[in-house]
Amino acid sequence: MQVNQTKSQFVAVASIAAELSAVMEVAKEISLAAANAKAIAFRAGEKAKGFQPITDFINELAKDTIELVNNINEYAFHLYRLTVNEQRMTEACRRFEKVGQLAVGARYADSLATPLQEVRLRTQICHREFIIQVSELLIKLADVMHPARAARVIAANSRIEASQAGEYLQSLQAVAESVDNAAQIINDKVHKCRSALTIINVAE
Amino acid sequence: MRMTKIYEGAYQWIMFGRDVHKPEKIIDTNQYMVRTANRCLLIDPGGIELFAPMLAAVLHHAPVEEITDLFASHQDPDIISSLGLWDQALPNAKLHAATLWEGFLRHFGCETIEYVPIPDHGGVINLGTTELQIVPAHYLHASANFHIYDPHAKILMSGDVGAALEAPGTPVFVDNFDMHVEKMRFFHQRWMPSNQAKRAWIDRVRKLDIDILAPQHGRMFKGDDVKRFLDWFEALQVGIAV
Repeated sequence: MQVNQTKSQFVAVASIAAELSAVMEVAKEISLAAANAKAIAFRAGEKAKGFQPITDFINELAKDTIELVNNINEYAFHLYRLTVNEQRMTEACRRFEKVGQLAVGARYADSLATPLQEVRLRTQICHREFIIQVSELLIKLADVMHPARAARVIAANSRIEASQAGEYLQSLQAVAESVDNAAQIINDKVHKCRSALTIINVAE
Repeated sequence: MRMTKIYEGAYQWIMFGRDVHKPEKIIDTNQYMVRTANRCLLIDPGGIELFAPMLAAVLHHAPVEEITDLFASHQDPDIISSLGLWDQALPNAKLHAATLWEGFLRHFGCETIEYVPIPDHGGVINLGTTELQIVPAHYLHASANFHIYDPHAKILMSGDVGAALEAPGTPVFVDNFDMHVEKMRFFHQRWMPSNQAKRAWIDRVRKLDIDILAPQHGRMFKGDDVKRFLDWFEALQVGIAV
């Protein structure tokens, strides 16, 4: 493993953490929008009867997204720990090799062979685990895309239901827009996470 | 890396320093090793930049698996920022360092090496055939700071006390105390924060039988220069930045 590759891992893992944090914020906004929509639909009564079950769907989607992101955050943190360990071991390999060059002729120079071999092996194991975790994280990120896509469909349905809500039309349309925007943002952020991870895979 | 044997008995003390390949802008440091028949203690093993030349030098005296103990007088990077690398190299080692600094030192990486916390009142490092005393030197300069005293070899490894900032390649022992004083003055006045701590340390150290006072920077003191240093340090006002 090269030093530059470890650096790109740090950048990728940091990017994922930042994007996931943004996804979490947006999911919380959707949850708020759902509560707001529920209150409006309640006030609108019969005029927004079709809208009421939609608000429950929106809330469920927000909850699902938050749960998934929490789960993914744990993966991202584990990836970060693996990257730190790998960086330390990579650096150790580099320095041990330097010791080998400087210790030529030293009585006990050979005693470094075992630690060097072991740290190389640990680095390989660590990197393999990193790659496995990246693959699993890519699958988890695909899971987040599902509620985001569903949210866009719900937003389209919400617009139709809102059109029959009389004086509540504008308020409910605003809710639909808000859900649609949020879903789009989540989609973009998750796409960025996947791109960052794909760069690491390509670097292999 | 220059290697100087400073004690030869049933075991040895070896001083490492004056590395000609040291990057220019990092401070020069002295590292010490106590080598017994089958164990080895590294005292203030040094910064990360020094790891490769230091370990290469150590391998002239001991195999990796016999480096069983590390000691850090305090938490500074020139003392122990190499810890993460030793952690990868040493399968069965202990780090003796202040309880107060454990959470800080672990930032350097300490998962394989066992951290042995030193309480404020000090303790001992048992190397099997010999036992070294851990002498409190708090606030000289770090808030938790320790020195190592070997009553058999009569050596006090005194951390930053006695340190001097000198040109590269300087001799390892003070040869003219009066001329050496100016190389130590600013270092002690500016890095040492407390006259009270200084007096407590001098009272403690005057009771020890010392042939060599071995600081972490600059030259070592031997014979009468040890007493000359204690007298000079006692009279010096420290903590001058406030």
